[in-house]
Amino acid sequence: MKGLLLKEFYMTAKYCRPFLLIVIVFLAVSFFGDDNIFFILYPVLISSMIPVTLMSYDEHDKWTLYSATLPYTRSQLVSSKYLIGLIFGAAAYVISIAATIVRMQLNGYFSLDSLLGMAVILLALGMLAPTLLLPLVFKFGTEKGRIAFYVMIGLMTAGGTIAAGLGLQFALPVGGVWILAAVVLIIVLLYVLSWRLSIVFYRKREL
Amino acid sequence: MNALEIRNLTKTYPGFRLQNLNLTLPSGCILGLVGENGAGKSTTIKLILDMIRKDSGTITLFGQDNQKNTVLTKQDIGVVLDEVGIPQFMTAGQIANIMRHTFKNWDDALFKDYLKKLALPADKAFKDFSRGMKMKMGIAVALAHHPKLLILDEATSGLDPVVRDEVVEMFGEFTRDENHAVLISSHIVSDLEKICDYIAFLHQGQLLLCEEKDVLLEEYGLVQCSKEQLEELDADAIKGKKVSPYGVQALVKRDAVPAGFPVSPVSMEELFIFMVKERA
Repeated sequence: MKGLLLKEFYMTAKYCRPFLLIVIVFLAVSFFGDDNIFFILYPVLISSMIPVTLMSYDEHDKWTLYSATLPYTRSQLVSSKYLIGLIFGAAAYVISIAATIVRMQLNGYFSLDSLLGMAVILLALGMLAPTLLLPLVFKFGTEKGRIAFYVMIGLMTAGGTIAAGLGLQFALPVGGVWILAAVVLIIVLLYVLSWRLSIVFYRKREL
Repeated sequence: MNALEIRNLTKTYPGFRLQNLNLTLPSGCILGLVGENGAGKSTTIKLILDMIRKDSGTITLFGQDNQKNTVLTKQDIGVVLDEVGIPQFMTAGQIANIMRHTFKNWDDALFKDYLKKLALPADKAFKDFSRGMKMKMGIAVALAHHPKLLILDEATSGLDPVVRDEVVEMFGEFTRDENHAVLISSHIVSDLEKICDYIAFLHQGQLLLCEEKDVLLEEYGLVQCSKEQLEELDADAIKGKKVSPYGVQALVKRDAVPAGFPVSPVSMEELFIFMVKERA
């Protein structure tokens, strides 16, 4: 498994460098722009895309086939992608939350409730794409999975823009820490379910 | 012990069926799997490596079912696929770092030896290699963890004669150890003729024959004669024929041909072509 993770780190360092630039630019914009959550959300979204991006390179390089000849189980091959997604997703998430805190402080309206609400929304939206898409990609391959991913990002962006245009605010009905905790628990459970489902799909897939 | 045993292996795809395949690869030997494109060579290799599911039959590797303890078994197998599969930007050093954490018996010194021996630059990206160099890198990786079985799918296709010779020599060296075995597939029969102890012919998903190469060369021969002369021969002796206005060329079983009838040696390629055409 260590070998697989190392390979994913090499791949991310090579192919996902532009993502870092995008993260910096978007977070910078979020400081100067209005309260649009999109600029905070986008870095988390593209980081969650890392596993799918890597899998597309794997297919192109024929690593998908080669890795099936190496002494790894299908479960390990799936888990390495989920883990790498979690590591970089978590990094982007922490940076985005930190940026939000700084912005709130700078603008002088820091509120723990808003921050927690925002943190849960970010987590939900960041985890949504990999949770839904990775099982599909492990079942059908990256081509169809990526198309679905781009469509989803487009729809979310459009939805966000329309909602903002209609004057809607992104906020959870903050009814207390327990509700937020429940939401987080559901998100985590869905992610675990997605991971298990991907393993089942990939074990059955003929390479 | 046999490194590989396949019994009654069947796999069906839409429009293709690998039927009741039986193969045995004893340790210390090289088995060449010959067949035209689409004959079922890659399907067989994928089934051995448990990359696809069989319909029926059994596959044993080192005496163990290939679907049991797969990870442990694969520690002893080196694989080179026709497109190798190493990520394009990686250098030899990065590949070694990954494989060191993948194979228990990974040997850095041995890998460096192979790089040197095969004139592979350590700092060049895999994508900048020629096809021959890519294959050589695949072979170096496959050998550097001290495998007992090497499986090569079309690994010699497209190599220039000099590289092919180097590679062939390496496989010969590898099987000098009696615990080692090689399964190599190719649609280029002449690639395998030189190196294999056993030859298996696959055609449209069916095994035409699997035999020791020397036995095949002893058993079969070519006769060049007229139609009338050929008719004098026992029909069972004739395993294939090519008729032209200048006469007949036929593949025959030597022991069924009367003494004194001129029989010349047959190459593996001719043997394969005659057998395939006879079935057509």
